[in-house]
Amino acid sequence: MMMHEVLKLLFKKPFTNKFPAKYAPKSTYGFIKLVKEGKAQIIPPVPTPPKFRGKLKYDRESCVGCGLCVKVCPAKAIELVTYKEEPKEEGARPKIIRKIRIYIGRCVYCSQCVDICPRNSLSMTDEFLLANEDKLAKELIVE
Amino acid sequence: MLTEIEQILYIIIGTFLVSAFGILFGLSAKGIDRKLAAHMQWRVGPPLLQPFYDVKKLLVKESVVPQNAVSWLFNSAPIVCLASTIVILLYIPLGPFNPVLQGYGDAILILYLLTIPSLAMVAGGFASGSPFATVGAQREMVLMMAYEFPLATAIVALAWKMNIVAPSLPAFSLTTFAQHPIWDVVGPLGFIGAVILLVVLIIVTPGEIAKVPFDIAEAETEIAEGVLVEYSGRNLGLFYLADAVKAVVLSSLIVALFFPYNLSPLLAGYISLPNICWNVVDFLFFLLKIEIVLFVAMTFIRVSVARFKVDQVVRAYWLYLTVAAIIGLVLIVLDGMAI
Amino acid sequence: MSGGKKYTIPVGPLHPAVHEPITIKIDVEGEHIVGVDVFCSQVHRGIEWLGMNRNNPIQSIYLSERVCGICNICHPLCMVQAVEKAAEIMPTERAEYIRVIMAELERIHSHLLWAGVAGHEIGFDTVFHYTWALREAVMDLIEYLTGNRVTKAIMMFGGVRRDIDETGVRKIKEGMQYYLERFHKIEEIFLHDPTIKMRTRDVGILTREDALKLCAVGPTVRASGIPKDVRQDFPYAAYADIGVDAITPDMYNGEVHGDVFDRIIVRLLEVKQSIEIINAALDNMPSGPILAEPNLVKLQMLLKKADGEGVGRVEAPRGEDIHYVRLRKGEEPFFSWKIRAPTYNNLLPWIPMLMGEQIADVPIIAASTDPCMSCLNRVTVVDVNSSKEYVLTKEKLHELSIRKTRRLMRNAH
Repeated sequence: MMMHEVLKLLFKKPFTNKFPAKYAPKSTYGFIKLVKEGKAQIIPPVPTPPKFRGKLKYDRESCVGCGLCVKVCPAKAIELVTYKEEPKEEGARPKIIRKIRIYIGRCVYCSQCVDICPRNSLSMTDEFLLANEDKLAKELIVE
Repeated sequence: MLTEIEQILYIIIGTFLVSAFGILFGLSAKGIDRKLAAHMQWRVGPPLLQPFYDVKKLLVKESVVPQNAVSWLFNSAPIVCLASTIVILLYIPLGPFNPVLQGYGDAILILYLLTIPSLAMVAGGFASGSPFATVGAQREMVLMMAYEFPLATAIVALAWKMNIVAPSLPAFSLTTFAQHPIWDVVGPLGFIGAVILLVVLIIVTPGEIAKVPFDIAEAETEIAEGVLVEYSGRNLGLFYLADAVKAVVLSSLIVALFFPYNLSPLLAGYISLPNICWNVVDFLFFLLKIEIVLFVAMTFIRVSVARFKVDQVVRAYWLYLTVAAIIGLVLIVLDGMAI
Repeated sequence: MSGGKKYTIPVGPLHPAVHEPITIKIDVEGEHIVGVDVFCSQVHRGIEWLGMNRNNPIQSIYLSERVCGICNICHPLCMVQAVEKAAEIMPTERAEYIRVIMAELERIHSHLLWAGVAGHEIGFDTVFHYTWALREAVMDLIEYLTGNRVTKAIMMFGGVRRDIDETGVRKIKEGMQYYLERFHKIEEIFLHDPTIKMRTRDVGILTREDALKLCAVGPTVRASGIPKDVRQDFPYAAYADIGVDAITPDMYNGEVHGDVFDRIIVRLLEVKQSIEIINAALDNMPSGPILAEPNLVKLQMLLKKADGEGVGRVEAPRGEDIHYVRLRKGEEPFFSWKIRAPTYNNLLPWIPMLMGEQIADVPIIAASTDPCMSCLNRVTVVDVNSSKEYVLTKEKLHELSIRKTRRLMRNAH
């Protein structure tokens, strides 16, 4: 019988994690603004475990531009970008540099690129609050 | 004596006040119900004022009328539903205040009036021109026929007792019930009978206000809100209000029949307050009583059982509740004979 | 309420009773169902096509995960097994155990999710919220082990991508203890609540004969008293070491009705069985590498060179899942990829289950097979010229199947 159980639950704390606020704020943007100004507080989310797969972090310096990550990305979220660096000496051929650009808006967080990267240039952070109305927003492109 | 014009004015103002009370308190009660239900389900639930936000939103939304609906019937059903629900409230004493239309109607009239909101829903459902609404309307009719009998039996049993206790007063008048609370006038047998009748009325309540387990006419997982499936915007808002008011009606009817007590006679010996303050205290006490009845009849029942099927509802009302109501009636009659 | 006019109610493609797009047209007389027809194929997503044309095999693992949001160990596991057979890769022993643990964690989560949904379908929302709250523990466990709650991304050809360390083992043991302690509560709610019993006992009966005839799978067929379970009949991964017996409702109370209540019994007992399997797997888990070929570049070359076909069979929470994969030398995408999700088999049993029941039973009967439409929908036939959809007859489909088999055979050599 549930009758007994529901009466017990009535006096128990709700199971729900009230992230980010107990009730939906009147205006989401207004709420975010208040939080940024320090006038309101976000109820923290459930902590993420150590192996959590969140937003990708890219170490541009160590990347050699091999393009393996581009090949295995199931969502085709990674693009290989070539830059031409003007030579320091007159007459020399321009140096070509290959780096990647990651579109987080397309990322499916499988972490396959992290596994295959020969230089360990990629890693996953625990950042997951990535909702945005623009999938090409600056925060959603890692390069 | 009031003059005729004064009396008309009194009725008009009273009607406004009672409608405002019914709607505002109905919505607050709904908010409390949702909050308590949420806690019993181990979750936070909406803010207390959520029903007000809902109505506000519904009233500004567009009311869509389906192409194959009978539009005049479709549009008038919610108005009839809300209006008739508020009318019932005018015949029920609200705590220390006598009914606005006192003397114009009694428990029998209330029984009849209680069917009108359901009939309006049935009409609205059939007028929607949707198979889901049609099924919902059919179910609403079945449900209505099912709970009517135990409800009537319970009220007749109480009135029969009132007739014995106070032969000079009109037996079906709710004022009579208020003057002679049922618990004070029955012996031990009658007491058991009255308890049974109270339980019957409490189980009829979720049927009347379409709550689980008797919400078969609206059953959202089966027939997608049934009678209400095609309603939107203002029309849906009116049904929503009618539902809120109906909960107040049913619970104040139970309070009037079974718990017509006021706090003032009890406390008057200890504290002295002006009359108006006593009215306020009694009224708050009345609201508390309504909340308790609603908690048991609406919130608690609906979170602890599954929805019944049509045949199970009919069996529950026609067989178990009717038998219970008749046993209650017999016990009260036997009790009366013993005296 | 019988003898009235007969009319048709469309349940779906969008209806609260079926949470995914599918249409059940039911003919009713009053409240009684006198005719049922099921129309599927409303969420075709071209997953197999992508696997055969766009993706390399590694990309397809993550694609197969997205065949279904709930069975996203079963589908990749099944696909990975098929590819391993095709490319003759042997997964490591430890990985086999980790696969079993992950699959059983998923079964616990899927069955608890189903139990909640079933509660909601019969209007018992408290049960819904309650079981889903209990389900959080296994979700957190999955998040700890794989890095995300839903998409686990743990399968790889030749093994798994993440190992279970000491803390992981401890956490799983704690989690299993949590469920063992609460199991009696779940049992009390589902098997002893009078209103749940009232709504599910002798409702949606699938007889033993019908279940066999219509090739039902998973808890649906087991509830009809047929001990059919891939883990028992054709053990894969480490199931052979552990030993699994198919669960039938007579194990609980000695009788088989084949109704919705029996399906509840089977699923609840399977939750308990999963807990036991996980504990056994943890105790017997050998040490060693988790990947047969840790170098992914080499693995890709290996798969490109491979030529052959393989079939993967996995007992998903909903029933037997089958993936067929053919690899051709020199080609990266699969030459052929065919998915047969369990819901496909469990749709037709709806018809004998629903016949003669009431409208009120439709949601719970439909839910009792735990349908998953996005798993099911693998093909939509569209005439490109007129862009019209049409239905294939049995003869036409048979002819097309023969043609496809010939094509695959021809290309095998």
